[in-house]
Amino acid sequence: MSEPPPVPQPEKGPHDMGGENAGEIDTIDQGMTFWQRQANALRGVAIGNNVIVLDELRRTAEDLGNDYARLAYFEKTTTALRNLLVEKDIIGEDELTAKMDEIRARFDVPDEMESEIKKGPAT
Amino acid sequence: MSAFQTVTPVPDHHFDIGDQVTIKRGHPPGHRRTPDYIRGKTGEIERICGVFPNPEELAYGFDGLPGRVLYRVKFKQTHVWPGYTGPDTDIIEMEIFEHWLEPA
Repeated sequence: MSEPPPVPQPEKGPHDMGGENAGEIDTIDQGMTFWQRQANALRGVAIGNNVIVLDELRRTAEDLGNDYARLAYFEKTTTALRNLLVEKDIIGEDELTAKMDEIRARFDVPDEMESEIKKGPAT
Repeated sequence: MSAFQTVTPVPDHHFDIGDQVTIKRGHPPGHRRTPDYIRGKTGEIERICGVFPNPEELAYGFDGLPGRVLYRVKFKQTHVWPGYTGPDTDIIEMEIFEHWLEPA
């Protein structure tokens, strides 16, 4: 008779890092970009109007799995918000994709009006 | 009665201040509000915080009712962390819901 299969060892969630070695911590205030402020505001409005609760956001962030460690703070909280709003049928995937395409199109700036940064170093 | 009560009346609770409790072990799936490093450790009830909707249910869009009793539990750091080098009197306090506690 063969050996029984090993019992899978459950892993703790990606957020549950108490007691782990944190390594070097960057304590410099990075400030907030425009989109980060907008994302914070949207999150605040969604919670303030009882559309979502904070515990749901925590859970959808934990559900990011390996992405939890890979993403930066605002990317994580915003992805969690996005996934939660889709999960709760408040926005649809189609709706979201269409809106993102629409917004992306606004940034199709003609070459002559392109910023110096995007044009790259002068030749 | 003062407008600022330090103790929330909790009619039904299993543990009282000073009781020794052990935190449940294991890794149940889902949103759990008790960090891994405190599971299986034994501490003392420091206070009864009150009754709150269960965040482990709220996390999935439910109302979390009936509310669960939340306690503040006091642990010795030397007990929580193997090889802890600080004073033996150092403690960590953590707020833990009743359904995570067992009599020690």
